[in-house]
Amino acid sequence: MIKHYDLIVVGAGPAGLSAAIKAANCGMHVIVFDENQRPGGQLFKQIHKFFGSKEHKAKIRGIRIGEELLAEAEKAGVEVSLNSIVLGLYNLKGVSVMRNNQVEHFRGENVIIATGASENVVPFEGWTTPGVIGAGAAQTMMNLHGVMPGKRILMVGTGNVGLVVSFQLLQAGCEVAAVIDAAPRVGGYGVHAAKVARTGVPFYLSHTVVKAEGGDHVTGVTIAEVDSHFKPIPGTEKHFDVDTVCMAVGLSPMSQLTRMAGCKMIDNGGAVPEKNEYGETSIPGVFVAGDVAGIEEASSAMITGRIAALGAAGRSGFISDAEFTKQYEACVNSLNQLRQGMFCKANKGRTDILTTDEGYPLSMSLLTKGYMTEEELAKFTNLNAHQTGVHPVIECTQNIPCNPCQEACKFGCISVGTNITNLPGVVAESKCTGCGMCVANCPGQAIFLVNEDTGDGFATITLPYEFLPTPQAGEKGTALNRSGAAVCEAEVVSVRTNKSFDHTMLLTIKVPKAYAAEARFYKPEKEGK
Amino acid sequence: MKDYLDRTFDLGPYVPEEDDDLIICRCEEITKGEIRQAVHEGMFTMTEVKRYLRTGMGLCQGQTCGRLVKNIVQNELNKKISAEAENTARAPMRPIPMDVYGKEAE
Repeated sequence: MIKHYDLIVVGAGPAGLSAAIKAANCGMHVIVFDENQRPGGQLFKQIHKFFGSKEHKAKIRGIRIGEELLAEAEKAGVEVSLNSIVLGLYNLKGVSVMRNNQVEHFRGENVIIATGASENVVPFEGWTTPGVIGAGAAQTMMNLHGVMPGKRILMVGTGNVGLVVSFQLLQAGCEVAAVIDAAPRVGGYGVHAAKVARTGVPFYLSHTVVKAEGGDHVTGVTIAEVDSHFKPIPGTEKHFDVDTVCMAVGLSPMSQLTRMAGCKMIDNGGAVPEKNEYGETSIPGVFVAGDVAGIEEASSAMITGRIAALGAAGRSGFISDAEFTKQYEACVNSLNQLRQGMFCKANKGRTDILTTDEGYPLSMSLLTKGYMTEEELAKFTNLNAHQTGVHPVIECTQNIPCNPCQEACKFGCISVGTNITNLPGVVAESKCTGCGMCVANCPGQAIFLVNEDTGDGFATITLPYEFLPTPQAGEKGTALNRSGAAVCEAEVVSVRTNKSFDHTMLLTIKVPKAYAAEARFYKPEKEGK
Repeated sequence: MKDYLDRTFDLGPYVPEEDDDLIICRCEEITKGEIRQAVHEGMFTMTEVKRYLRTGMGLCQGQTCGRLVKNIVQNELNKKISAEAENTARAPMRPIPMDVYGKEAE
């Protein structure tokens, strides 16, 4: 027997769930299939805080966004069918699904494909050796199952995935030997690179893996610098003793279902279906949303999911034209905010961007080593007003779509403006109370509270800290600079936690005042590893 | 760029490369050298290489190696002929037990 639905959604990740919620709220009878045991797609592996603005759920950790979506889906009456493998999508939007050890048949008035993407690999000598894993696998092991992927890891790829997962590996207690990339520039956000670099992880740009060593498991890895044709340069080899090589070298859309259905395909970072502004493919009523339509990230996936749902609702008469236009325009506006700045798709791979939109020179050190030099930072006069007493120092120097800092400060100390890719600025005449909300809410962990001179020859620095064990007030350790090098002894003055900080601790350290502009991380005396 | 249906194109001699023994399709254990050789033996498209070598016919159905195989074929064709884009996507999209496939739900 064929079961009918107004809308069948394939994939219960951020795009699929958002689509299903929107469609159900329009009154559609919706079912979502997902092959996994748990819904949420990759969201439940994302323990970091998201970028964007409030409407994009910025500063909320991915895992909580997943929980919120599930609760919304349940409230909206969406049927989420897990352990359900979609085997095929056929003419007339027939969908065959394997669940409970049998094949069932469904037909949707509309179908939204939100199957996401899979990880790319780069082949090198020894790449099939156990211990060479994808970044997604590392996240699954750490963040879903509580298992360390390895003790000492080499990360391949400096896109946001490589940088974010490197930081998560450090949080899990792994050692990251280095982060490498064949490209000459760090591919992900500078703030993500900076928070990895300041823990002491070296970056090797224009480097590739030559070989992974070891018989039945990885025991080491050799990398080498590459020339302009991405070929290793003899004599530049470097060796690391690692037990894991983690690859974060891009994603490919999982677009087989759309191909099977006969959708017209185009090449957009992998084969993706051609689509109109509502995500509708060349087959009427078959829509795509999220990474399967072209790789982006979870925040835009949620919006493209809603847009596809509106398209389906409009097509089948579940929404008035006026309401459709209103909601569609709101979605597009929200999406356009995310699709701006130096990291947006249109600017991908460009190396000719040398200044920010505001005209500040971009930090080349950040793009090649993962951290900024003091000289480069000093040029960003908007980021530090050098007020006396405690004041915010913002180390956010690229035009990325993000603005929680502006809202975090209830005292008007930080301004981003209406365009969320603007750089934040410290309002000089404002008075910082030292509450630390900006430090805790910055998804890039790029804001510090600094008191350059406490009057007794010392300075205090309040930094975001997301590592265990929790440092104790009074303990002594080492202050590290932006590159992770030890600069001086540091004493922990206080450790603040608060529900609104959402597990980001505010660690205040005291250092000799000469190091006020340099000390940006804290390393405990005895590491609890 | 010439169409792949034109088989009169001279690829030149097959020149062994250092990394020819690199496994590209993990599921079916097909090496880079085998794929390059297949092109010289007349397999110009993804589908032809698949039928010749079984690349992309294993557990992952080419989701991992598809991009790599395509690059190798394209390089071997000297980028002068456009390799056919993708393997045909067919149901079942995921491997399933035969006894389940044969059992329709009521």
